Amino acid sequence: MENKVSYALYVLQEPVQYMALTFMALMYAMKIYQLMKKPGPPEKAELKGDRYAGAIHSLANVLRPWGMESTRSHPYFYVEFLIFHIAVALTIGSTFFIPLTPWLMTPLVSKVIMVFMGLAFLIGLRRIYRRITVPEIRIISSPDDFFAITLMTVFFAVGFVTMWLWIQGKPETGWMWLFFLMVTFFLIYVPFSKISHYVLYPFGRVMYGQIFGGRGILNRNVR
Amino acid sequence: MPDPIETNKPQTSEPAPSAQPEKLGTQENRKWPILSEFTPEALAKMEKVLPGKLNRIVQTSLAGCIHCGMCTEACHYTQSIPEDKTLLPAYKADRFRKWYKYRYDWMAKVFPSFVGAKPLTKELADEMYDKLWGGCTMCRRCTFNCPMGVDYGMVVRAARGIMTEAGRVPQNLQDTVDTHYNHGNNMAVPQDEFIETIEWIEEELQSEDGCENFRIPVDKKGAKYFLTLNPREPKYYPMTIQSTAKVLNAAGVDFTVSSRYWDLTNYAMFNGIDPDAKLFAKWIFEEVQRLGCEYLLSGECGHGYRGLRWEMANWLGGVPFKITSAMELFAQLVQEDRLKLDKSVHDGKVFTYHDSCNIARSGGVMEEPRIVVKAAVNKFVEMPHNREYSYCCGGGGGALAMPEFAKRRIAAGKIKADEIKATGATVVLQSCHNCTDQLKEICEHYGIHAKVMNLAELLDPALVLTD
Repeated sequence: MENKVSYALYVLQEPVQYMALTFMALMYAMKIYQLMKKPGPPEKAELKGDRYAGAIHSLANVLRPWGMESTRSHPYFYVEFLIFHIAVALTIGSTFFIPLTPWLMTPLVSKVIMVFMGLAFLIGLRRIYRRITVPEIRIISSPDDFFAITLMTVFFAVGFVTMWLWIQGKPETGWMWLFFLMVTFFLIYVPFSKISHYVLYPFGRVMYGQIFGGRGILNRNVR
Repeated sequence: MPDPIETNKPQTSEPAPSAQPEKLGTQENRKWPILSEFTPEALAKMEKVLPGKLNRIVQTSLAGCIHCGMCTEACHYTQSIPEDKTLLPAYKADRFRKWYKYRYDWMAKVFPSFVGAKPLTKELADEMYDKLWGGCTMCRRCTFNCPMGVDYGMVVRAARGIMTEAGRVPQNLQDTVDTHYNHGNNMAVPQDEFIETIEWIEEELQSEDGCENFRIPVDKKGAKYFLTLNPREPKYYPMTIQSTAKVLNAAGVDFTVSSRYWDLTNYAMFNGIDPDAKLFAKWIFEEVQRLGCEYLLSGECGHGYRGLRWEMANWLGGVPFKITSAMELFAQLVQEDRLKLDKSVHDGKVFTYHDSCNIARSGGVMEEPRIVVKAAVNKFVEMPHNREYSYCCGGGGGALAMPEFAKRRIAAGKIKADEIKATGATVVLQSCHNCTDQLKEICEHYGIHAKVMNLAELLDPALVLTD
């Protein structure tokens, strides 16, 4: 596929994205620096397990739905989570592939991404519904929680249409403009929103794995 | 069989100091200033203390919650009291998180309400008090079910520490810590009274058939194991000490208790005051060093075990001796065939085992108690949720020392009561004194006709004593 676009769209798809991406990286670096300044979890006691194996086990938790009771007893919820986050990864990938390596965005690849975007859109709608209707979820939800899931859901809808037009051989459409404007907004906004939880994820999981792995509670069969 | 080398070791206990009991604890008599409500000064103090409580785990846990609600079913409060949605772990932790965000979240600097941030007001502080003292036992079951790895136990402990520093701590809980601080043990058992109690228990033990030579050595230098006790034992449950001593003697274990610092509890783990927690651990540390023991042996106590086994080394920067527990030692003795047991004494009873959160989920001792139980009984039934997935009984986190929340504590024990009922057990085994008291209460409250006992009490009658 070719990405023959106007100079204006080129500016949006590349220089503007690079600037926004640099801003995001800077914000994340500051966040990580603030965390790393704090004392980490010490463990000077004689270990019963392996802290490193525990950390890896804990990081891989995302791929083991049977590893937590909360996902084990709600496999449908886990599948939703998985599809949603795969869609996020593919969508982020497409924002790089479209301007930089458009030949990779073959109709087949584009269709796969489109399908995930479509599913993620539906999942997003269900998650909004859940946040509104389940009392215990509603009382812990802040406007940021609603805005983040709504934004993602709209983004997937826009991405779905954009991909469909891209497959039709239309690289420059109003939808493509909207898609990349949203990407720019995301890059600037996300470090300040709950969507940035993926930066904290490895910290939380690794520390959890170190503590409970070292104490011999995690990956007992591995030991 | 008892180890002949250990059994034949000369008993080298020093004469117990009796004439002038030593002043244990600190030289001062402290009474922590406690407020009946959050004052502007208390709130200002909390603002000042907050930054010092934010280590990497606490900060990640405060910033990392995505409000997914996966912790809903993990908590014994939400499972037992489903009508109260505010007992959801994420909601409870949010009482603290809102304030944290107000201070530290970038978006909150501009749009606080957008991210749910709130300044620390009396109303928010009151909610923190209610939910984080009286609505959480820091059992960490939600942590094990959190996709982000949020450590709620550490978050709640940090919040409690901040409130305690500001003077808002449940009176009874703080009294327990102050008593430990002033007297060297949390029930203010004087040194001479403790020694007399141990001597009396030893006499009682020696009056049992086959136990004539059994001893409870006090201050025996060079003993292999330094046995620590829960103050409830010398005060209210001397039979537990007797049973423990009987098992250890029967296996030929070389052990001693200290006449000075023997209290393994550490309620400063519950009120979040690190210097006190460190001080209590240091007393035990110094006693093990003084008597030159190879092992520090934690008695059957949940938070006490965790405090000694896992937290002590972090508080003190490491320890030069080994640390184990009665649960682990009993299992070792069983596996080494050093205990001869007659299972038939327990025939006709159905046993189940409750995993204390601090022993299993935060301590890593899960199989050892089962080795002991299976060696001593014929009929053992697991609860549906066991080991690291065990529900808290509701008595953890110092809950038993907060009578103002007793009604909620009993209500929160319903899920555990239901699980006990489902096993058809007539005896609930556990290895923690707080669990003992809570399990007894919930068994009575929910109409379960089961006896509650610990592992030493299980082994004691089953012991077949040989010469």
